[in-house]
Amino acid sequence: MDLVLLAWKNLWRSRRRTLITLIALSFSLMLVQAFHNLSYGVYSAMIDSGVRAGSGHLVVYHQDYVASRDEQFSFAPGQLREQLSALAGVAEVLPRLYLPGLAQSSRESRGILLTGVIPQAEQRVNPFLRDLPTDQQLESLSGRQAILGSRLLKELQLKIGNKFVVTLQNASGDLVSEMFRVRGAVQTGIKTIDSSLLMVGHQRAAALAGLPGEIHELAIVLQSQKFERLVFPALQQLLKNHPQQVGLSWEEAMPNLANAIRLDYASQKFIFIILLLIVTIGVVNTLLMSVMERFREFGVILAVGASAMRLRLLVFSEALLLGLVSMLLGSALGSLATWYLQEVGINLRYFIDETLEFGGVVFDPVLRAAWDRPYMLQIAGFMLLLSLAAAVYPAIKAGRIKPAEAMRHH
Amino acid sequence: MPLIELKSVSKIYPLGSQQVIAVDDLSLSIEAGEFTVLAGPSGSGKTTLLNLIGCLDEPSRGEVWLDGQEVGGAPQPQLAKLRLRKIGFIFQSYNLIPVLTAAENAEFTLMLMGVPKSRRRQRVVELFAELGLAGLEERKPSDLSGGQQQRVAIARAMASQPAVVLADEPTASLDSQASEELLALMRRLNREQGATFVFSSHDPLVISRAQRVVTLRDGRLESDR
Repeated sequence: MDLVLLAWKNLWRSRRRTLITLIALSFSLMLVQAFHNLSYGVYSAMIDSGVRAGSGHLVVYHQDYVASRDEQFSFAPGQLREQLSALAGVAEVLPRLYLPGLAQSSRESRGILLTGVIPQAEQRVNPFLRDLPTDQQLESLSGRQAILGSRLLKELQLKIGNKFVVTLQNASGDLVSEMFRVRGAVQTGIKTIDSSLLMVGHQRAAALAGLPGEIHELAIVLQSQKFERLVFPALQQLLKNHPQQVGLSWEEAMPNLANAIRLDYASQKFIFIILLLIVTIGVVNTLLMSVMERFREFGVILAVGASAMRLRLLVFSEALLLGLVSMLLGSALGSLATWYLQEVGINLRYFIDETLEFGGVVFDPVLRAAWDRPYMLQIAGFMLLLSLAAAVYPAIKAGRIKPAEAMRHH
Repeated sequence: MPLIELKSVSKIYPLGSQQVIAVDDLSLSIEAGEFTVLAGPSGSGKTTLLNLIGCLDEPSRGEVWLDGQEVGGAPQPQLAKLRLRKIGFIFQSYNLIPVLTAAENAEFTLMLMGVPKSRRRQRVVELFAELGLAGLEERKPSDLSGGQQQRVAIARAMASQPAVVLADEPTASLDSQASEELLALMRRLNREQGATFVFSSHDPLVISRAQRVVTLRDGRLESDR
């Protein structure tokens, strides 16, 4: 304790130098924490939006559908939807049928992906459908109403209420056609989806394809991503009774998004490490200067009976205190910056006009942070370790001082 | 058995391609309770001899015995312990730790020994009263006069009740009146507490107050009276 007190007093010998080092350390920690939390917030929102509009946090496919995306690999979910819905943390289970085909209006024709859905269930979680006015929502599972991607609607030169025909190959290999009426249009911002999406009631799509009761995808949306650890093992357990089906996480189902996030986190980590290393060099410099300035005093301390180990401990204590104060100050500043970025955010609309897409998912132009407390704690601890690592060389140097030589030093 | 015994001790420093003999084949015994001055001109080897007695330096040749123990080739951690428990140091330029108060400086060696704070403070209060420093406990060294700082240095050296106090030119930075007071004080501690004092000095005032004067010249013993 006395050694720590002495270390604390020593730190404030050169008030300006210590303050500059503290500010550098705290500011770096604040930057790392705040920018990580900003990325974390943006990615969490993107994952949430991606899973809700896409394949869910977890998804079940026929095992051969995953690689081939061939519509012949459908499956009958049986009681799976009800069983999954009963699991804690599951917000919605969404059966979907995907059928490639052709849509024809009186003027144009376009390739489409007919998607058979349970409208009410989709509306509860899909952010694009949720934003549609009630009179543009699908009303039944078997009706002839359809929601189109905004670009497809434009290309087919259709308007809400217009009729058009969908032609596709059914399960027997025959071409079948059916007339639908435009109920609404959605704009996801993703070109491929907006120009091919055609959403209808599941029963109508299944009947047209000759696949009654069958689906291609069972998307599971969780109340939050943290439930994935609980629900995924339960899903695997349930799928033991469905050997033809496989359960995937969103990272496996949406590899583009997962890889893009991974890559961005990796490059961010690299930048953070460089930043912290630069600051560490500053700490080494501060501690080394402080040791060299006290060369004679260290000689006296050794002469009056301190061991070299105690002197090394003194230097480490100074680094520890410097690291601890920076950790607390930096974390306080990091929390303040995170709070600001969460409440106010950064509006990219000032800089960019177009829709922002990342890894195949559109994201909100107002970037908002989210709290990743374990990471904040981890990076603060890492900085404390770096401060201690910065003390290794100065401490070795202090421990090698020979008292008789040091006291001759002026 | 003498408290300090040097047997044919030499200390040679390398200086570039040459060698400087700071202490040359010197033998000396100092009994417990002595008040001894190592006198001699600059460069005569006084400080080197004090460093050898104080276990701050190793002899190139010969043996150094302290309180019945040979200290010449002992490992550093053992020498540090020996310095802590058996030797008190007083330096020419006081060498107090500037960030600590006078009392904290005085109790520094006790802190290193792991003595509890309350006992340390009690000992320092006693010493400060004896050394005429009462009331200055919370002052920083920069707020004390040279004489007061040197008395705090004496308190630091005496706090752990060492077997020997080594003082390297303790009056060199003081005016004559402060030197006189300091010498009287150390002599009193020597008489009343039986502490052994070994000084290095070329100050005639210090030499005149000494019980024994060992004069060195070119690293050799010139006289011992």
